[in-house]
Amino acid sequence: MNDELYYEDIEIGDEIDTVERSVSLEQVRAFLAIRGGLSGPSRFTDDAFARSEGLPGAIVPGAMNSAMMAQLLTGWSPTVTLKKMEVVFRRVVPHNSPLEIKGVVTSKDVVDDEPQINCDVFLESEEGAVHVIGHATVVLPMHAPAD
Amino acid sequence: MSTEDDITYDRSMLGVEHHIGSFPISREMILEFAVSTAETHPLYSDEEQAKASEYGGLIAPPTFCNIFVDGLRRPDIKLEFGDVGLFASQAIENVSPIRPGDTLEARTRLQDVYSKTGRSGKMVFVVWETSFTNQQGETVVLVRDSFIRRNRPE
Repeated sequence: MNDELYYEDIEIGDEIDTVERSVSLEQVRAFLAIRGGLSGPSRFTDDAFARSEGLPGAIVPGAMNSAMMAQLLTGWSPTVTLKKMEVVFRRVVPHNSPLEIKGVVTSKDVVDDEPQINCDVFLESEEGAVHVIGHATVVLPMHAPAD
Repeated sequence: MSTEDDITYDRSMLGVEHHIGSFPISREMILEFAVSTAETHPLYSDEEQAKASEYGGLIAPPTFCNIFVDGLRRPDIKLEFGDVGLFASQAIENVSPIRPGDTLEARTRLQDVYSKTGRSGKMVFVVWETSFTNQQGETVVLVRDSFIRRNRPE
């Protein structure tokens, strides 16, 4: 995680430090267990079931992909507050697949006295295939005005 | 039931709010969410460090409410199309922090149902808006989810 970032430190085009992840079946099961788990085979935990639905194999739940995209932003700096995030799931994410989560600053503005940074965010495979794409608005503090 | 643009579903559901559950939030749930998603931010994963923050303790990560908005809890709109559903997109707006001990009330409404035809054929999109409020009646999170319904590949 970066040192404390402030609104004034950020410029359009700045890249957010890439986050690397890979999601295992055990992680998926643990995630699903928080809300009570599954009563039978599912596309998230069972390769054969996923294939019966036309998928290449068991996939990572979209909610876990959203969580990883959010981590890119909240892990950018301890001063970041994630206000809004919108993501589109373009390709399914298989288990145990090396993933790179990236972001770039597209604009910044003070809205209703709130210093906001807008970013494009991507979840890609190692080969550069885009699985999830989106944009987000984070809030950063401003340096106190000089006396 | 009605048909519009070749989509048959229960149109009376459009815009109608449904209470889909009360969800007590525990510290264990927040910590399990952090472990399963490899979250390392101290606000969401380390109680001691979180105590020293401006929040004074652990809070839930920004997409935490996703664990409550699975399709099983949504009303059946009796959509007569497709046999496979996939998550298409999601928008989350965080309004206030969620803390252990909170009880969230979730209310959802069907916002839109529409169709598109792509390379793999016709797809129907079903869009839901869900709001979460805490025990003080404050809105904490707003979520808009879009799901694709399509036919299983032959």
